[in-house]
Amino acid sequence: MKFGGVTALNDVTFDVKKQEILGLIGPNGAGKTTVFNVITGVYQITSGEISFDGNSLAGVKRYRITQRGIARTFQNIRLWGDMTALENVLTATDTHKKSGLVSGLFGLPVSRREEKRDKARAQELLDFIGIGEYADRLAKNLPYGVQRRLEIARAMGAEPKLLLLDEPAAGFNPAEKVELAATIRKIRDAGYTVLLIEHDMSLVMKVSDRVVVLDFGQKIADDSPRNVQDDPRVIEAYLGVPEDAS
Amino acid sequence: MINLRDKGAEIWERQGRLGRIGIAVGGVAMAAALPFMGGTILNTPIADYESVLVYPIAMYVLMAIGLNIVIGKSGLLDLGYVAFFAIGAYTMGLLGTKTSLNTWEILPIGIAMAMFSGIILGVPALKLRGDYLAIITLGFGEIVRIVALNLGALGRSEGIQGIPTPPGIFGIEYAFDSHRIYFWTLLILILLAIWMVRRLSVRRAGRAWESIRQDEDAAELLGVPTFKYKVWAFVLGASVGGAAGVFYASKTLFIAPDNFTLQISILILACVVFWRYGKYLGCNSRSGNSWLPTGSNSFLIRRPSARVRLGVGNHDESSS
Amino acid sequence: MIGNFLDQFWSLTFGGLSLGFIYILIALGYTMVYGVLRMINFANSEIFMVGTFATIIIVRDVFNFTQTSEYATGFRLWLILGTALVFAMVVSGVLSMLVEIVAYRRLRRMNSGILAPLISAIGVSMVLAESVRILTDSRPVASPRAMEKKFLGQFFDAGIRIDNTIIVISALFLFGVLITFVNKTRMGKAIRAVSMNPNAARLMGINIDGVVSATFLVGGLMTGAAGFFYVLKYENTSSNIGFELGIAAFTAAILGGIGNIKGAFYGGLALGLLETYASFFLGTQWKAVTVFIVLVLILYTRPNGLFGEALTQTRA
Repeated sequence: MKFGGVTALNDVTFDVKKQEILGLIGPNGAGKTTVFNVITGVYQITSGEISFDGNSLAGVKRYRITQRGIARTFQNIRLWGDMTALENVLTATDTHKKSGLVSGLFGLPVSRREEKRDKARAQELLDFIGIGEYADRLAKNLPYGVQRRLEIARAMGAEPKLLLLDEPAAGFNPAEKVELAATIRKIRDAGYTVLLIEHDMSLVMKVSDRVVVLDFGQKIADDSPRNVQDDPRVIEAYLGVPEDAS
Repeated sequence: MINLRDKGAEIWERQGRLGRIGIAVGGVAMAAALPFMGGTILNTPIADYESVLVYPIAMYVLMAIGLNIVIGKSGLLDLGYVAFFAIGAYTMGLLGTKTSLNTWEILPIGIAMAMFSGIILGVPALKLRGDYLAIITLGFGEIVRIVALNLGALGRSEGIQGIPTPPGIFGIEYAFDSHRIYFWTLLILILLAIWMVRRLSVRRAGRAWESIRQDEDAAELLGVPTFKYKVWAFVLGASVGGAAGVFYASKTLFIAPDNFTLQISILILACVVFWRYGKYLGCNSRSGNSWLPTGSNSFLIRRPSARVRLGVGNHDESSS
Repeated sequence: MIGNFLDQFWSLTFGGLSLGFIYILIALGYTMVYGVLRMINFANSEIFMVGTFATIIIVRDVFNFTQTSEYATGFRLWLILGTALVFAMVVSGVLSMLVEIVAYRRLRRMNSGILAPLISAIGVSMVLAESVRILTDSRPVASPRAMEKKFLGQFFDAGIRIDNTIIVISALFLFGVLITFVNKTRMGKAIRAVSMNPNAARLMGINIDGVVSATFLVGGLMTGAAGFFYVLKYENTSSNIGFELGIAAFTAAILGGIGNIKGAFYGGLALGLLETYASFFLGTQWKAVTVFIVLVLILYTRPNGLFGEALTQTRA
């Protein structure tokens, strides 16, 4: 993936297997968010290919990518503050509705049915994540931890097959991180595939089935958490090499 | 200063279904009674009170509801809204004088023409962001006026005269000076428009528009077909403007390009801005000032950051 | 038609060039403010209009020229032209700064989004235009001719008029001064820094408010000069010329890439020539439509303009 003269991702190739939790780590600037942006269609790849469920994602419009089953959370929370928590999730569940503006206007049965169904589903998701009681509060008024979890619930509302979590633990204290790890595993067990960017090493290692490490736009490791932890190249990327070791 | 809008919202929330129906009916009744409340004190130098109620007040309220879909709900800067008003009016003017169709038959055609131009403007323009959308829409509004000014078929600067008034329905006559009848007709249109917006607000469309307004990129990434809904906002807003235009032409009996200036777009915009920061009837008192020299109107426009709470609200349209 | 056009080509071109330079100067007002604040300074068109009136005030009221006065020559002529130019520039520059303080500054502090400043700008525009309209009784105002518009020479059958020449040379000079200012002076560098990264600039100790004021001042100075040149060339003005010329200059700024000073140069020239040629073929009443269509075409095919930033990019 090139931007003008800068190569952000250089031959980064990896697969995500169904119902696994794949951790994506690397020092700052390694290209992790770029990977997310490429997958969700924010950037069009300049070379190589990207496919999901057997179909190529190249040139596909972003909302269609979501319809195909990929949804994400954002590193800096991007909720729709003036809508309630429930409405935030509902907007995501709208992705798969068959009814639209015209049927909504005339109150056609299909619209009413889908609306009812999705409202229940949205509440269900909020409960699943543990913030069900906040359903009717405006998103901008929610506490930080609740907002982060709402981001996840919202992404899940789009019924994704692949859920991209962008630093979901940012700003959490250790207790909250433990809870989050459990939640992520719960999500996986419910049938979702998770791709996770995170800076907190212990969280990533504990929760991931597999870890991919990026550094300066290149993949330098792709293995189980244990092996990646011991990989000298990974250690070097994060900590550097001692000066006298050349 | 009591915040009338939030107070109104509180009262509304607390009511049960019956209470809300009661308030709504009461509000409509009050609005319907407006023509009787004027007396001669509220006459302006160029027109008397009841005429002013129809235009600009009722017309502007109707158009503000339309423009609100575009700017208020979806966050799209449209500075050329008067174009749809003009298209509706000229459709009425041309068809009314050249064919035997009457106002009621021309109304859907006028609305369709306006919606069509909403698509023509929207599809290219909505690919642009923020300020640039504003400029393009402003240009569109001006172009419509200039074309009307220079095309022989549209009467150039003299416009179109002799536009017929609507034929009577249900035994009600539409003479050009029966302002009340027009007012009540417009009131019905206003209620229809409000109904339309409310219905859409609580469904997918409303959510789509809100999410686009607050964070369009996030919306797209969470499955909202943003472009489609932006165009829809334009088209629906245009339909309301077109309807207003048809009635305008049918009432004032003659139209000219000078009736459709940028200034009107700006005034409707000001109505929407005041509405969102002020009261539902904020637009009414704004347009009621139409006899003031334009300079002071623009002064009012200049301080949208000063959130002026205007007017008295009947019921709160918390849908905005 | 074509034959006629070819005959008149050079004289049309010279006219188009001087119009182009007027557009460049007004476009600079838009482009510099956009570069620094990412905001369209809608009121710039009325600042131009005020500049034209400032010029007429000097020529007609201070130097007491009338329609039947004798032309001035020699030193007196340059004195008159110089005074009018400087006065127009100063008036417009100061007015531009005032507009920023009154209409935009508070909104900038409050971080009010894009709608409020735009409405405020339109409001200022209307206030200025309306005030002048009331003062002029809604009628155009003619400027007496202080300088004899003689021909300096011939170029391929087309006469080179002195006023067009003055405009081109002076505007070029002003543009050169601006480039030097932006590239070589401290304030110029500060302006460039703020337009690239306001937060970093602030952290480096740059006074943002000062830079913004300076930007509006400089933009206003250029726009005021354009006002002078306009009156020199067309010898009249009215309260509503701001809008038409403003849109045209804005289109020029976009054509060259908004925020880009070099772009304003090419955009302005291109638009001046384009408009002059189009007027010849289509008649002047369709001028505004032509310009608008050009604007639309640019925005859809090359939204970056020739040198500028993209207008359709989304952030993620």
